[in-house]
Amino acid sequence: MKKKTGLVITSALLGFSLVAAGCGNSDNNSASGDNKTLKVWFMGTADTVTPIAKMYEEKNPGIKVEVQAIPWDNAHDKLLTAVASKNGPDVVQMGTTWIPEFAAAGALKDMAPYIEKYPSMKAENFFDGAVQTTKYEDKTVAIPFYVETRAMFYRTDLLGGVGYPEGPKTWDELKDASKKLVAKGGAGHYALPIEAKDSIYTAIFAWQNGSELIDSNRKPQFNQPAYVETINFLKSFYDEGLSPKGTDLDTVAAFKDGTMGMFISGPWMIQTVKEKAPEIDGKWAVTTLPAKKTNTSSIGGADLSIFNYSKNPDEAAKFIAFMAEQDAQLKFYETSNSMPALKAAWKNDALKDPMIQAFGKQLENSRPAPMVTEYEEIAKAAMASFEQITVGGADTQTELDKLNAKANELLGNK
Amino acid sequence: MFIAPAVILLTLFSIIPIIIALVISFTDMDLVGLADYSNISSAGFANYINIFKDPVFLKSMYNTLIYVVIGVPLVVLASMGVALLLNYGTSWLFKSFRVIYYMPSITNIVAVAVVWGYLYNGSYGLFNYILSIFGLPAQQWLQDPTLAKLSLILLAFWKSIGLNMIIFLAALQGIPRSYYEAAEIDGATGWKKLRYITVPLLGFATFFVTITTLIGWIQFFEEPLVMTKGGPLNATMSMALFIYNNGFQLSKFGYAAAGSFVLFIIIIIVTLIQFAVKKKEVEY
Repeated sequence: MKKKTGLVITSALLGFSLVAAGCGNSDNNSASGDNKTLKVWFMGTADTVTPIAKMYEEKNPGIKVEVQAIPWDNAHDKLLTAVASKNGPDVVQMGTTWIPEFAAAGALKDMAPYIEKYPSMKAENFFDGAVQTTKYEDKTVAIPFYVETRAMFYRTDLLGGVGYPEGPKTWDELKDASKKLVAKGGAGHYALPIEAKDSIYTAIFAWQNGSELIDSNRKPQFNQPAYVETINFLKSFYDEGLSPKGTDLDTVAAFKDGTMGMFISGPWMIQTVKEKAPEIDGKWAVTTLPAKKTNTSSIGGADLSIFNYSKNPDEAAKFIAFMAEQDAQLKFYETSNSMPALKAAWKNDALKDPMIQAFGKQLENSRPAPMVTEYEEIAKAAMASFEQITVGGADTQTELDKLNAKANELLGNK
Repeated sequence: MFIAPAVILLTLFSIIPIIIALVISFTDMDLVGLADYSNISSAGFANYINIFKDPVFLKSMYNTLIYVVIGVPLVVLASMGVALLLNYGTSWLFKSFRVIYYMPSITNIVAVAVVWGYLYNGSYGLFNYILSIFGLPAQQWLQDPTLAKLSLILLAFWKSIGLNMIIFLAALQGIPRSYYEAAEIDGATGWKKLRYITVPLLGFATFFVTITTLIGWIQFFEEPLVMTKGGPLNATMSMALFIYNNGFQLSKFGYAAAGSFVLFIIIIIVTLIQFAVKKKEVEY
């Protein structure tokens, strides 16, 4: 009896491994046949990338580009699974903030040899901030694909009414304009929302105030005067009723009916506001962020990498080189409204809209979040602290001392 | 021998993963470890010690307790009540109400979240609009730490009542008419019939609903994930969400596995208590 059970288990396992081996084989065959298949993972929707993949296929007969679109929400989980199984795409689109994590795990190929081969991948072609996101520990593991940054959306009519028709240019003007807007609007009116659920929001203001988040020696700066001052500045917007306390005020609706005169957001909001609030066409504009020491904004977006377990790294590099060229970049802007990382593409007429140009201007003064693997967790802790200070009523300095200690611990500093 | 297929499947898909998770919970596995197993090292009991020192985890345990204490009795009583009422008649009205009560159970949670998000919205929401009609002040349904917990319970309650009601309805249909007829001959009133026949004979259904609801609420996850992400101030963070955040957002697999084992043990203990407390089945 016992022997028989053993036999059944063995044969079952054998069966499984045969099936698994079979799958592996068929994969190899499809990749090494006459028609090469290049597996590409994109975040978002397929219809934004498929036209570009078609362009590539036309130029490179014999190559089939298989685009798989993954919703952003699932993308991180899916990439984790790919790393765990060491089986994934050839080319992968990476959110810029994920680069350190996956580079540290060795999931992304070193791009240096390919950059030498394909001039379109050269760093000087792209915005500085975007290039910074492709590096991990002095190694280039990706090529910039598209960029996004935050800029100021404002109602020209409302801001004009309080003396700032071109939007506030400095922190002081921002505060002054906010107070006047709320005083003029009355109850239920706010100046701008503070996106406390977005870790980059406080980071942007901190950079503007000359504060680093984590310095080059991996020392967090959260309890230093510049950062503390920043948090107190943002907190004052809550305390003085200039920003809504709850975070569920619908930004577009409030912008439309004038209960909120400004907000800071990314380029995707241009289309959203145009579609959802056509009534205020011509009464709003986009400009660069107000400055304290600088008017730094964040840079994000996505990069393209070769997955380390890819079986066709050379083909993958060729595809990425094509994606970095102007044609592909402009096409992607057309299909997705995502702004090109390639500087030369910005001279094209397609991007001459003044609102887009405002983002282009902001991009020249923007930087990515700290490129350390621990940043995701530190950013979460920073958001929690900000919430403790603004909603929970904690003392700013005490809470930020705690945050700094926690960040030190996460970074492994003794 | 004849149970071999079942045993193999169980081993392959249940027991082995549990053992692997248990092993992971004693390591410092993260994404780097996932890519190359040689980077994984043993952490001893550090994950378990740290997790009980983590204020967010302790908070999530407390929140989960609140969810269970309020949510479970509410769901069991309400779904039984609704089933009893719907069992009174068979006209189209009763039938359509069965559908109406069941509808939330089959609706996608993301769609539900969007709709309820607007109901709860502080500035444009329906609930605050209703309050304003009665001259009451607007509430921050999802921004106030205490209220947010209750708001999520209300949503989950609304969503889970339908499925449990169907189970009760099925059990009600299974009670033979002859018991009621006998009781009527003895002059029993409606209330007495309910008290001495219906509720005792629903014992098994009640037990089943209680145990599944209890386990469901201990694993409370989707509602806080889509509605509040555990905020404000971690007031709606559940244990399952805490585990998800650490495992999938922060890639701290060892830590998350330790958390899931704590959750696993709690569920086993609670289920065993349930079986122990359950009275002998009623027989007539």
